Amino acid sequence: MDRRDILADNPVEKRRGYMPGVSVQPRRLLFTAGMTGRQPDGSIVAGGMAAQTQRTMERLQAILRHAGADVSQTIKQLLYITDMEAHAVSGRAVRAAFYGENRPTSTALGVQRLADPAMLIEIELVVDLHDSPVGKPLLEKYNTENHGLDFHQGVIVNGGRLIYVAGQVANTPDGSVAGVGDWRRQAEQVYTNIGHVLRAAGATPAQAVKETTWVLEIDAWRQHGTAVRRAFYQGDYPASTLVEIPGLARPEFLLEIEVIAAVA
Amino acid sequence: MPYTTIMPAEAKPVAPYKMATRMEGGRLVYIAGQVARDAEGNVLAPGDIRTQTRQVFQNLQQVLQAAGGDVSDLLKMTTYITKIENFPVVSEVRSEFFPGEMPASTLIVVSRLAQPELLIEVEGMAAIG
Repeated sequence: MDRRDILADNPVEKRRGYMPGVSVQPRRLLFTAGMTGRQPDGSIVAGGMAAQTQRTMERLQAILRHAGADVSQTIKQLLYITDMEAHAVSGRAVRAAFYGENRPTSTALGVQRLADPAMLIEIELVVDLHDSPVGKPLLEKYNTENHGLDFHQGVIVNGGRLIYVAGQVANTPDGSVAGVGDWRRQAEQVYTNIGHVLRAAGATPAQAVKETTWVLEIDAWRQHGTAVRRAFYQGDYPASTLVEIPGLARPEFLLEIEVIAAVA
Repeated sequence: MPYTTIMPAEAKPVAPYKMATRMEGGRLVYIAGQVARDAEGNVLAPGDIRTQTRQVFQNLQQVLQAAGGDVSDLLKMTTYITKIENFPVVSEVRSEFFPGEMPASTLIVVSRLAQPELLIEVEGMAAIG
């Protein structure tokens, strides 16, 4: 463990609940899926932002515990929030209690909706694991709950080289946008592009660690994109997050997907 | 540079950013989403995308420098803006901070950021060492 907190000489950061930067030797890292206040029966826990944040953090804790880690080892948290005011009033304090004196780097985004319209908050983490990667497979993908959905709740990278892929959109080699207004065609082009980029980096779809899917409409994405995604991963899914947002770089784009992968 | 730039022939970026980066060594640095706030936590230049963008990239630069690097060490950055109409100015100001090619990059329009006056937030990861 050789984590270093990076405090730029900027007084505003010193009073905030997060670190401006954190650096580690990436020997063994855990990427979690975006987690929410979902309960074992699939419903969202009652009680609003505070209850959902509590439940989300407890589920993340279970994922971290499976990897032998705790929340204090988090180096990055990403928060997707549908009601930023409610989060400021009743979510932030719940979350802070889990971190104690430790501060990860953080990004908080206001989004239109999450996988279920009842979800108010979704949180994903990147965690620095302290034990040795020696003798372990490159990736350890696992679930701590029987969710039956197309993603893993945690993916550990053991000593590989990380690949950060730019957000992929439905651009074709000639610079035009494939499938204007056509969800399925755009999903196909996006995954074609991701496939090219991963291959050029020496990785396969099974070596995707974390995926973030940004869409203009979750329902349309589910209807037309799911089959394309399944064909791409063939059952070997990364940890993932699905978010509905109001716009992308060009008005023609319906979705954008970014991937973190790893090779030995 | 402890990373390799990945530029597949079949999928080219539409702007001067890298399609992907592969970390080959050094320390992995995660940088919090940077926003345009002053020392008291007030939002700088509400409504002024140019000033906010400049401040955000100066902050990003500061954090990278505190980690012993600079913007050329970025593996990936994500730019979140609240209005797509602001993108041309964001793009123009951002390019001043990247004399060469930008890192792997994602642009997302979000509903809002932590405070309603914030127009832009940028986060990134870097390989330094």
